[in-house]
Amino acid sequence: MVRVPEHERLVLDNGATLILLPRREVPLLACQALLRGGSVVDPPAPPGTASLVAALLEKGAGARDAYAFAETVEGAGGSFGALAGPEAIAVRSQFLSRDQGLMLELLSDTLRAPRLEEREFEHLRERQIEFIKAVKDSEPAELIDAYGRAMLFAGHPYARPVHGSESSLAQVTHAHARHYYRTHFGADRLILVLAGDLDIDRAEQAVRSAFASWPRAVGRPPLAQPAPSTGRRVLLVDAPGAAQTHFWIGMSGVERKYPRRAALDLVNTLFGGRFTSLLNAELRIKSGLSYGARSSFVRGSVAGEFSIRSFVETASTARAIRLALQALERLHSEGVSAEMLASARAYTLGQYALGLETAADWAAALADIEFFGLGTGYIDDYPAALAEVDPRVAREVIAEAFPTPDQVTLVVIGDAARIGGQLAEFGPIVPMRLIDPDFVPGAAGDEAPP
Amino acid sequence: MRRTALAPTPAFRAPAPAGRDGVHAQTLANGMQVIVWPVHHIPNVALNLWVRAGSRNERPGITGLAHFFEHMMFNGTRTRGPGEFDRLMEARGGANNAFTSDDVTVYEDWFPASALELVLELEADRVANLAFASPLIESERGVVASERRLRVEDNNHGLLAERVQAAAFTSHPYRFPTIGWPEDIRAWRLEDLQAFYTTYYAPNNLTLTLAGDLDPRAAVRLARRYFEPIAAQAPPAPVRVREPPQLGERRVTILRKVQTPLLQCAYKAPCASDERASAIHLLMSVLMEGDASRLHRALVEERRLAIEVGGHWQEGFDPGLLWLSLTLPQDTDPAHALATLDAQLARVVDEGVTQAELERARNLAIVGFWKRLATIDGKAHLLGEYAVFHGCWSDLFEAPRRLTAVTREQLRAVAEDILATSRRTVGILAPGGRRTRAPR
Repeated sequence: MVRVPEHERLVLDNGATLILLPRREVPLLACQALLRGGSVVDPPAPPGTASLVAALLEKGAGARDAYAFAETVEGAGGSFGALAGPEAIAVRSQFLSRDQGLMLELLSDTLRAPRLEEREFEHLRERQIEFIKAVKDSEPAELIDAYGRAMLFAGHPYARPVHGSESSLAQVTHAHARHYYRTHFGADRLILVLAGDLDIDRAEQAVRSAFASWPRAVGRPPLAQPAPSTGRRVLLVDAPGAAQTHFWIGMSGVERKYPRRAALDLVNTLFGGRFTSLLNAELRIKSGLSYGARSSFVRGSVAGEFSIRSFVETASTARAIRLALQALERLHSEGVSAEMLASARAYTLGQYALGLETAADWAAALADIEFFGLGTGYIDDYPAALAEVDPRVAREVIAEAFPTPDQVTLVVIGDAARIGGQLAEFGPIVPMRLIDPDFVPGAAGDEAPP
Repeated sequence: MRRTALAPTPAFRAPAPAGRDGVHAQTLANGMQVIVWPVHHIPNVALNLWVRAGSRNERPGITGLAHFFEHMMFNGTRTRGPGEFDRLMEARGGANNAFTSDDVTVYEDWFPASALELVLELEADRVANLAFASPLIESERGVVASERRLRVEDNNHGLLAERVQAAAFTSHPYRFPTIGWPEDIRAWRLEDLQAFYTTYYAPNNLTLTLAGDLDPRAAVRLARRYFEPIAAQAPPAPVRVREPPQLGERRVTILRKVQTPLLQCAYKAPCASDERASAIHLLMSVLMEGDASRLHRALVEERRLAIEVGGHWQEGFDPGLLWLSLTLPQDTDPAHALATLDAQLARVVDEGVTQAELERARNLAIVGFWKRLATIDGKAHLLGEYAVFHGCWSDLFEAPRRLTAVTREQLRAVAEDILATSRRTVGILAPGGRRTRAPR
């Protein structure tokens, strides 16, 4: 059975939290650091600010410029990367265990003494804008969440694109980035987990000497805000010439601390979380319409979204969306049987250990537990919680956490001219173009396509 | 001059990976190879079933068949109806997937150790008794068409790579896209499927690898119980085609409605078992792995002619391709980016690489190796890769030593051998024209 391994947890006087977990299967050391903040604290700066700050951390810190930093990390065979999310900037790193001292030095430099050089900032910003264009060219589905969240959470911090849009990034300045760092970096925002083949005493000493003197952040920590509700509508994003349509069906869901998470996981496994799910059965197995269909919950400090996503040939767009909504309707009307729950439970338990296999897996899991204040019972008590779910509980959770088809928001990316009137039955249609530089319609002028 | 002011980090003297003595390998009476690696840090098992069949084993008219088989293998047998494979496996806690390449098709299962017997029985059943129900064949054609739209028709990287690969080979079947040409996907007949199955899904053409929480002798016993009754077949006819030498650069240009141009260079490169394999891996790392790599530094950071540089060596049974791929910023001239790329490559050929670059590549490779060994999935894959492409699973334990032995001169020499413009195919995808619609 999976249990949280023995580990040390300490909170420094300035609020920094440190967790050390030894695992010695391979001579590697993994680190996961979370800095509370993220895109929800971007304002008044434009969306994408936290994301650029994260990228800037490894573009020079302490005594090293960007190139020397990369050369040092890679010269030791290591990896080091920082990425913003909605509620935190996450720094992930992995080195050979012999380089424990170097890894902690680089981590301390990036968090406490990043150079934040203007030249590097400008280049990262340009590149990030180009990356969005490149993704629109080849993998627009990667952006479908950004469109969906922008519409679903309009007016709420979760609506902002974490990595910015082409137009919002163009407005982020170097001063915004520096302001973000001055306001939202500090000891009380830090959760640091080191896991792997580590020397605990030396690590603790090194972390204390690196972070004990770090002041607290000056900005207010992000406030939890209630997620909005929504009525049914359709955002149609025109991608002329696209061979197929990507669609996203979303609704605000539940928060990370949702008390009936075990039941939620089992029901979602059955609905859209595995190959034989109701959704994949409709869109792939029975009809051959799509390569795949899935559903998932994003659960943050407050309720994130529930979403269904899939893709089909343009001509089959409406038929596929209808099948997905009918599956959702059936989930509500029929619930799930004890036999289905038994299968989902075996599946969830059988796959659970595979996600908690390596030191890096454990570093991420423990940082997450600490961040959301979940306690180790989140992992240790999970099997028992799964065992208690019966069809009645499942039905209650379906009613509480899964949207009914009349509540959903739809995003459709495809060839609008060929999708044509197919979408009218799903609600009022809001049109925009994939090449528009924002994830909401009408945010920028009507310049001609390139 | 390249900066070398930083003291090179000494190469990591890796201990030989533990576990070699615990690995148990056996060839069954029907020729099927079974390799088991017991490790007990989680109560799970990763299984790989390697089939020596990929798009390399196809011919014009049936391209994509190997990949289609990967799909059909989940659609029922003479003893179990469609969907039963997944239903039974998931109900016992298992998940699965599969992938097809130019050279092989690999089936993967991840499950709690308690489900071992069921999974072996299911795997053996589909090797022995696959059904070919026509409604399912038609439905699965639709699924594969959707996969092709996702990966090729609506993905410029996939589309350009498909056309570059098709242009790079004149006679060798590596010219076929693994997912198949659309007309072929629509046109296979039942006889094509049956013939392919009989020939390639024979036990003597398979390697089974298992890593995880199991007793190797008991696991081999079970493998024997379920697989040994399956009769061996005549070995598949060898692929005798040898690609004629390429005598000059080839070009593929695709104009599409896009914002960011793409540039790909595919160089003729040796096969997986080539003795220079470690040097080729390290050369690729020097060129494009990480922000300190040569091409990233020159093209992305300094000249700003690319937003991303990538690449890989297509390691197969036969000599294949070494790819370098660039995504360019909007309005960048691909010819300009190519000229800069060429100047960088010429320097590697002329001057070689620095000791610091070699050490960096070596350390990255060794950490990458340990990362793969950290999971049961990585172990099952490594066993399969070495058994199938290198002929000997235990060679994987020599990987750190082989990386340590590579010299700067060997890197320069492989750069000279491979990075010749006359033996490459250049692909450019740039804005212009109308976007081609998918055929209906």
